[in-house]
Amino acid sequence: MTFPAGYDRVILPETDSTNAEALRRAGTLAGPAWIMAHRQTAARGRRGRAWAGPDGNFAATLLLHPSEPADIVALRSFVAALALHDTCVTLTGRTEAFALKWPNDVLLNGGKLAGILLESTGSGGRVAALAIGIGVNLRAAPDPAALEEGALAPVALLPETGADIPPEEFLDHLAAAYAAREADFTTHGFGPIRQAWLARAARIGQPITARTPRAETRGIFETVDATGNLVLKTPEGRVSIAAADVFF
Amino acid sequence: MSKNTHESDVAFIAALAELLRDNDLTELQVKREYADNDSLNVRVSRLQPQAAPAPAAAPAPQAHQPAAAQAAPASGPAADAPEDPAAHPGAVLSPMVGTVYLQPEPGAPSFIKVGAEVSEGDTLIIVEAMKTMNHIPAPKSGTVKRILVEDGAPVEYGAPLVIVE
Repeated sequence: MTFPAGYDRVILPETDSTNAEALRRAGTLAGPAWIMAHRQTAARGRRGRAWAGPDGNFAATLLLHPSEPADIVALRSFVAALALHDTCVTLTGRTEAFALKWPNDVLLNGGKLAGILLESTGSGGRVAALAIGIGVNLRAAPDPAALEEGALAPVALLPETGADIPPEEFLDHLAAAYAAREADFTTHGFGPIRQAWLARAARIGQPITARTPRAETRGIFETVDATGNLVLKTPEGRVSIAAADVFF
Repeated sequence: MSKNTHESDVAFIAALAELLRDNDLTELQVKREYADNDSLNVRVSRLQPQAAPAPAAAPAPQAHQPAAAQAAPASGPAADAPEDPAAHPGAVLSPMVGTVYLQPEPGAPSFIKVGAEVSEGDTLIIVEAMKTMNHIPAPKSGTVKRILVEDGAPVEYGAPLVIVE
């Protein structure tokens, strides 16, 4: 398996968080680079949530220097989720076992297999650096006791599918899958990414809940619109949502 | 995101603007409570009619957040016109629709406070959309004059977030 052309590959025994590591290196790494760590000492999830990574699990960040406005850059949430879905299907051969949850969760047998957190820095509406952090439960799922109420139960690839993939090997597959989806995105825009994402989405046509710090919206999951918003059909009408936590 | 439609908010604000004109008022402030601790604060104001008639600027409705939707008709040169924060030279605008966070994570200290000195590139605020955390940096070094958004509130594209001078 060869690493995609133009992408750097950095493997660290340990770091605080691969996203933090990537953003620290943003000034010196000019091109796209994958930074993988065997261990994270201060792994983080969205809004400071704990992210536990038992040994043998996957933690890496792709550092990019995108040139689009911030709202376009954020669509890489879907690009990354698709690439991760592609990788899991390739490595296990089990297309039907995996699904996507808005915007970028990859589910395995209905449980949470992975987490993706994007962080960008920039100014004046332009993004200077984008860190796409991806954590995957390859060998073991973290303790479900630490879960927020209503969150999906964590699952891991090995116990669910029998596929025992070392993190470096997983990285090589993921990097290849990402490079292909990224090329599609930069050449053809969000259209094909959106279509592919919707084809793999869980719960389309079913009621789901989107929670923000200020409000909770329950409605039928209709679609994801051309700008990446989650579209719910509610008794009061159609609501499109740019940022929220989704609960089934 | 509220279940109340954007359209009904726009109609509501338009009705307030009409009330303001018809009754020759200079300012009107209304708070509308919705379910789920959601509310809409609207302040519509205008200057007293002067020699040069002010263009009737339609008040731009913002997302449901305490920052007032202001009608700020420009008027004569001597007038102390109500300012539009988005037009302020030190305004930092939201690059996207999303949710605003004032702290790196819940429970942590805020990135900035009014009166704080910031250096160019310091993170002022985070705007999240689609699990992408956009760290909005200070465009220049200076003092934080105003913070125009509240933690956890939704923001629209181009909405003024912070004023740094």
